[in-house]
Amino acid sequence: MPTPYLVIDGLTKVYERGQVHALRGLSFSIEKGEFLVVIGLSGSGKSTLLRCINRLIEPTEGKIWLDGTDVARLSAKRMRRVRRRIGMIFQQFNLVDRATTVRNVLTGRLGYMPGWRSLLGLFSSQDKRTALANLERVGLRDKAYARVDELSGGQRQRVGIARALMQKPEILLADEPVSALDPATSHSIMQYLEQMNRQDGVTVIASLHFLSLARRYGTRIIALKDGQLVFDGPPKTIDNAKFKEIYGEDAEEVEVR
Amino acid sequence: MTGYPEGYTSPRPEWTTGRGLYNALARRADVAAKYFAVFLLDAGGLAALWLLVTYAYAWYVLGITAYILVPWWVFALGVVEGAILWESLGRSWGQKALGRELTPVSGEATPIRRLLYFVLWHLFGLTGIGFVFVPPLHERWSGLGLRRERPSAQAPVPWYRTSAGLFVAVLLVVTMVSALGVTLTWESLRRLFTQAGQTAEFWRALVRPDTTILLDAMRDMIVTVFMAVLATLFAVAVSVPLSFLAARNLMRGPIGRPIYTLIRGAMSIARSIEPIVWAIIFLVWVTALRSPFAGILALWVHSIADLVKLYAERLEAIDQGPIEAITATGAGRLSVLRYAIVPQIVNPYISFTLYRWDINIRMATVVGLVGGGGIGQRLINYIWGVQYRQAGTVMILIVILVWAIDYLSARLRAKLA
Ligand SMILES: Nc1ncnc2c1ncn2[C@@H]1O[C@H](COP(=O)(O)OP(=O)(O)OP(=O)(O)O)[C@@H](O)[C@H]1O
Ligand SMILES: [Mg+2]
Repeated sequence: MPTPYLVIDGLTKVYERGQVHALRGLSFSIEKGEFLVVIGLSGSGKSTLLRCINRLIEPTEGKIWLDGTDVARLSAKRMRRVRRRIGMIFQQFNLVDRATTVRNVLTGRLGYMPGWRSLLGLFSSQDKRTALANLERVGLRDKAYARVDELSGGQRQRVGIARALMQKPEILLADEPVSALDPATSHSIMQYLEQMNRQDGVTVIASLHFLSLARRYGTRIIALKDGQLVFDGPPKTIDNAKFKEIYGEDAEEVEVR
Repeated sequence: MTGYPEGYTSPRPEWTTGRGLYNALARRADVAAKYFAVFLLDAGGLAALWLLVTYAYAWYVLGITAYILVPWWVFALGVVEGAILWESLGRSWGQKALGRELTPVSGEATPIRRLLYFVLWHLFGLTGIGFVFVPPLHERWSGLGLRRERPSAQAPVPWYRTSAGLFVAVLLVVTMVSALGVTLTWESLRRLFTQAGQTAEFWRALVRPDTTILLDAMRDMIVTVFMAVLATLFAVAVSVPLSFLAARNLMRGPIGRPIYTLIRGAMSIARSIEPIVWAIIFLVWVTALRSPFAGILALWVHSIADLVKLYAERLEAIDQGPIEAITATGAGRLSVLRYAIVPQIVNPYISFTLYRWDINIRMATVVGLVGGGGIGQRLINYIWGVQYRQAGTVMILIVILVWAIDYLSARLRAKLA
């Protein structure tokens, strides 16, 4: 039996400040091509989990096997090579507001360039063409030379997606990609992720706040509560009882259409 | 690994490794620093209050100048005991200023516990012995500790009902009262309102400028502008790299933090010495009587100190988001600097530089007054020579220059924002 693509084994994260146990011995695995949605209350550890996978946050304990290598133990240099295979998009978009759209998209190539080229800003013409093509793909070709702070939230997230596309990622981490957006825009962003997942075969791990979105786009859902796994299964199997277990007794489900 | 079953061997104690030892010491120093910072603020505040009250009392009632009026050990004891009592029993101003409060580690803060804390702080806090342990002994055994104040659901108590608020108010009032009595006399006030006529000659000279010196004055003014420009440019060259070493968020860990502290400390000392003092230092140093060079050096040093602070504070306020995102693409550290940090700081840096250049133009004039060259030196020469008409001319020129530069730099900065 082939080993799964990503295996999380006993992952624990304790934040030094305040001794917060954000993740407590989390274990699960993902096959290539899955669209995994992580749900859970605020503070349940979703962001921490996602950031441990590409080591933006150093895990305290546990193993993260990505395609056979333990990411949690790689040296900084080898980690950088792994990171370029992992795209990431963020709730607050995390773009450089003062720079133009293409410039932001081009930064997705930095992991593939030798240091001196990137310091001098010498992106190859191939990269520039790809950047424009990726902007075309997310429908922002006409905004290529606009400054990012002139764009709307939905447009910014599309820039974030284009930046991640530049990495030609095998896996995409999306930390609440639509929490700052309205319902209609949310769907359009989620559809881009779905498209990456289906057409390009990118494995997607997205944290979401709305169960309706999770059901609609995820091929599998995991739920966290206090840094522990409380649910793992296909979207259909989350019923009312499960929902109350994850979100607490008083929770009511909200629909996003 | 060695054949022992898991959990059989006990882990190595933390302090047996260099790094562990460093961490352990750092944690203790951290705790002690917090307690002592509060204590020093309280004791210092009480000492200041005592000195001021005694001073005012001696001045107004006894008609003499005196500071403590009691044996020094009574003063010292009073201040130290007062501070500890204040901290144990209530919310001291030191606690308030540093955002801390004495709270029970568990249970209630009973009067007995507070009293215990008062005694234990003498034994283990003041002596420093208690800080060998974490948490420190006085905290362990009294059950009370200094914690970061927590936002509570109750409305904050108005300042006039807190001891800290009243303390600060009394301190301000006493300072005002003493200062008024010492620096102002009826005689000096009378002169202010009756002797304005004596300056008439000066004002008259001001409205009759001497145009024959205009050309020479202009030349000196250009020197002044050059001084400011050079000082600013050289200061930027030094400050930009230094600012990265002086930014708290970039300098972490056992190597970074001391460097940060050192640079910030040195800069705040350099900044607290006024440019005019620096000018005198450099005049002695480069031994030239009239020397724009000394003036440039003076402005340079002060500008570095100022710019490093402004730059570093901007660096500390940058958005972490882009750093996170660009790190996530697999970019190296320098690329992250170049693509996530630099774009966020270029415009503010330019803006601060313009602002400092604007200050330097004015400072260059002041530095000139002590012999630092340029237009300021010309002005002071005329004034000492009682050539009021010429002095007036120079002053008008300075006003025009400063106004123009001020306007220019404000316009440029507005563009950058
Ligand atoms: N840098 C940090 N330092 C200390 N504690 C932190 C830090 N970041 C997160 N935490 C704590 O870790 C826990 C998990 O946080 P995390 O951000 O992973 O939750 P989350 O599920 O993403 O929440 P949200 O839905 O609000 O984004 C929380 O209790 C939080 O307070
Ligand atoms: Mg989060």
